[in-house]
Amino acid sequence: MRFLTLLLFAISCVATVTADDYELQYPLGLKPMRIPKGNELTEAKIKLGKQLFFDPRLSRDDTVSCSSCHEPSKGWSNGDDFATGVRGQRTGRSAPTIINAGYSYFQFWDGRALMLEGQALGPIQSSVEMDLTLEECVAKLNKIEGYRKQFQDVFGTDVTSPGIARAIASFERTILSGNAPYDKFKAGDKSALSDAAERGRKLFFGKANCSACHAGPNFSDFAFHNIGVGMDNDPPDVGRFNETDMLGDRGSFKTATLREIDRTAPYMHDGSLGTLEDVVDFYNKGGIANPQLDEELFPLKLTVAQKADLITFLKEGLSSEDYPDFKPPALPK
Amino acid sequence: MRTSILSIIALLTFALAPAWADHHVSTVVDGLDNPAGVAIQPDTGHVFVSDSGASRVIRVVDGKAQDVITDFPVDVYGKGPMYNIGPLGLVFLDKNTLVVGGGGYKDGEELLRVYKIPEAGQPAIKADQMEGSSKLVATDEIKGEGNFYGVATNGKFVFVTCNGDDTKGWVSRARINDGKLSKIKRAVATKEATEVDAPVAVAISPRGELVIGQMGEITVPGDGLLTFYNAKNSKMLLNLETGLSDITALAYSPKGQLYATDFMWTNTKEGGLYQLISKEADGKQSIEAKKVETLDKPTALAFGDDGSLYITVIGTGEGDAKGGKLLKVAPGL
Repeated sequence: MRFLTLLLFAISCVATVTADDYELQYPLGLKPMRIPKGNELTEAKIKLGKQLFFDPRLSRDDTVSCSSCHEPSKGWSNGDDFATGVRGQRTGRSAPTIINAGYSYFQFWDGRALMLEGQALGPIQSSVEMDLTLEECVAKLNKIEGYRKQFQDVFGTDVTSPGIARAIASFERTILSGNAPYDKFKAGDKSALSDAAERGRKLFFGKANCSACHAGPNFSDFAFHNIGVGMDNDPPDVGRFNETDMLGDRGSFKTATLREIDRTAPYMHDGSLGTLEDVVDFYNKGGIANPQLDEELFPLKLTVAQKADLITFLKEGLSSEDYPDFKPPALPK
Repeated sequence: MRTSILSIIALLTFALAPAWADHHVSTVVDGLDNPAGVAIQPDTGHVFVSDSGASRVIRVVDGKAQDVITDFPVDVYGKGPMYNIGPLGLVFLDKNTLVVGGGGYKDGEELLRVYKIPEAGQPAIKADQMEGSSKLVATDEIKGEGNFYGVATNGKFVFVTCNGDDTKGWVSRARINDGKLSKIKRAVATKEATEVDAPVAVAISPRGELVIGQMGEITVPGDGLLTFYNAKNSKMLLNLETGLSDITALAYSPKGQLYATDFMWTNTKEGGLYQLISKEADGKQSIEAKKVETLDKPTALAFGDDGSLYITVIGTGEGDAKGGKLLKVAPGL
């Protein structure tokens, strides 16, 4: 039944493509985003969502905001192996970048939330991250006149938790990266990639097998795969399996986007690989063997030069000069 | 422009009103082991089924199964659930010549097999008693191919969906020369064309286009595509979202209506038979998938000359019993 609901929701999300009074500008290489009915983008809602995203008052001790783990200057991740919440508590997984996250139907590494609206309230309620109940969060924000007024303007109500989710999701949909050298190359500018990056591109879509999962405009299928990371731990983090109870999902995690990958180290769901060199070495060895290892993982037999070219493509080809380097807004009082 | 017009005309061949209001579904044969292919023998109208997990191809006469080809190699598909698979897609070149897509060997060693089949009532032949076979081996740059799931013919070529190289998603084809099949060659890199994984279902439209059901990621619902290609030059004509999750089969009814099966990997209780109805809005083609029947893990479709629709389903067995069935939908679709 859960999956039926999930499917119906997915289908209902297919229809709407553009915003009400805000036209999302898509960088070169990206496609129109599916925006759920009932949460059309508006200028005011995005502005409100941005304030909420950067506001540490959404946490119990006013120290942690969404941006604490999704910092624009750190690739919209946090530069650490794990996410860190109130009182210095650390979660068991890294903070995934939210660049282009609006394209992903499943949210979180294990896909336990659907769409950005389903994700936004999760960290607020996590005792490790922001540690507020929704009732506490709503009550807290309703004491801030600037928020009450904006919620009235945007939603016609005082602060509500669905409103918080919709506003944050709307803002997150504007965090886009495209127009990278790869996109220009694909659009016809054959000088957009250096020789090394072009060799790396061919490897990416060929021998290195990266595009088996890192496919499409976001360089992610936004699906779940077991590549073996952490499967040698005792006990391992079984990821998606906890949500589906399907044996094939044991040890599977969502494919990360590779857009702006040079900014989002460390890598993998547990932040266990510090550099892209580590990542390419990991894949070149074929991941870590386990019964559910994805069939797309196998020794690649890349040479030293090929690994270097591949990394050049990842760093140069997928980094945009239009990187969405948002600055924190003034917060309401 | 010419391509667009051709494509729209092609789609309009299945744009008529739903034809499934009254339909009757019956079980023809049960106790099958992961049946994965079905074809109708010319002249006799006998139904042939790939009883895949049982490593055989059977002929169904008067509701009874007879072995035709046995002892195919069998492999395991999936990481949990797991399915034994041997012979997969079936298509007749003429009354006595049957093409069988293999699934029992590893990528690069898999065979597209051609058989002269024994008459009804004659002893079965072994899988290695082939008239011919060919495979798509790996090279330094290209992965070997395997799991030849879907096969279809337009009289000039046999088209085969392949699932070895997930960076390319090949549909391959083998030319028919004087009733004999030449070597199979890679023809359409569907992953590059659609940026979505896994060509699985294949059909030839009434106008001769190559029609592919792109399965997408099995862990992601609603990402299945229907894609039309020029069968001669392999160029993509039209690519449409369907809202279906895991399209396993496509077939045109004698009335020209297009039907698809959705395996719905993430929730197989919601799999089924769908009519794909063409819609046009704002000058754009789209598809509405109307559910005709809920089916338990459907895998293949074929229409008989009388308009009966035959469907294989893996089903759910009780205890050690196999749940696979050959179903029949009475003429009228």
